[in-house]
Amino acid sequence: MFEREDETVERVIQHLRRPVAIDPGLDARVMREIAQVAPAGRRVRPLWPLLAAAAVVATVLVARPRNRNAASQADTLQFVLVAPQAASVALVGDFNDWDPARSPMQTTHGGGIWATVVRLAPGRYRYAFLVNGVEWRADPNSPAAKDDEFGTPSSVITVGGRGGGGGS
Amino acid sequence: MILAALLLATQVALQDPRLDRLDPDTRSAVAAVVDSARVARLPIEPLIQRALEGATKGAPGPRIVTAVRRLAADLGTARTALGNDASAPELEAGVAALRAGATTQILANLRSVRRPLTVALSVLADLVASGVPADSAAAAVLALAPKARDADLVEFRRAVERDIALGAPPGAATSVRLNAGATDVTAASSGNPGTPTRRSRP
Repeated sequence: MFEREDETVERVIQHLRRPVAIDPGLDARVMREIAQVAPAGRRVRPLWPLLAAAAVVATVLVARPRNRNAASQADTLQFVLVAPQAASVALVGDFNDWDPARSPMQTTHGGGIWATVVRLAPGRYRYAFLVNGVEWRADPNSPAAKDDEFGTPSSVITVGGRGGGGGS
Repeated sequence: MILAALLLATQVALQDPRLDRLDPDTRSAVAAVVDSARVARLPIEPLIQRALEGATKGAPGPRIVTAVRRLAADLGTARTALGNDASAPELEAGVAALRAGATTQILANLRSVRRPLTVALSVLADLVASGVPADSAAAAVLALAPKARDADLVEFRRAVERDIALGAPPGAATSVRLNAGATDVTAASSGNPGTPTRRSRP
């Protein structure tokens, strides 16, 4: 029984070892097919648009607002400052990159009552009023920012996201 | 070349154009802190805003850099206390609470009874800023946190601040309002229409 199995194995080995005729033009055909699928001059170029797109996406991700749910949970808040002598008042804070040009306040009712409306996502924000472009004032209606490190007064406002707002 | 392109893309991402308002040395130092925070998966927007605040207020560069570094360190401490799943607003509020005198243990205790924590931590910080001892403020917020809504916590803080403005000792005002507010919170949670839910002004 074992001898017959040995003979079978020997026949299989001999079959596998028999010479195989290879078409001499096979190499040339294979290389021609490869050249048609991916020409040498175009092999690397598609990466550049991809990298450019990745850079753009990364830049957008860096510059986007802090809260992904900002649009859905944002709260509209009115900021008010009484400053009868002021010629201009701007609201600046964590929500507008501390840029006075972004949230100028209006005095529509006269009497030096300045107001503006800002939409804020849940979070804790530092802010202040800039009067006449030079004078910093905290909001008398909100808690003061105690950890002010720049020597001028600021206030804090907290916008909640649980159980009915909580703007403070 | 591909690696160089990827590095270039990363550099482009790191150069936040808002930081152009800083002088070159300050911008470079702040960008390094922001980069480290990004690697550590800390929120970077608060760091940028702190730098912009300093720039708009005309603070010297070294002071801006110190403030940003300190904030980055405190954000890390807050995350350690609140956990890796804490949101950016929660971490910012956690920093405020820590700077007001709350311990990391208090933050961890609050985390175990309430989510999200942003308003609770902010109220804690604001109470301390109003003169309430940190222990009393923490105890009050911990007592209210499991059931109170954000609006209830804000109203509690306002009530305490009103009492303090009228001359009440901060600690006593907190205790009195906490005891009086227990009933109000229960009523508000069940839909009391008299509870404020929105403010027209901060």
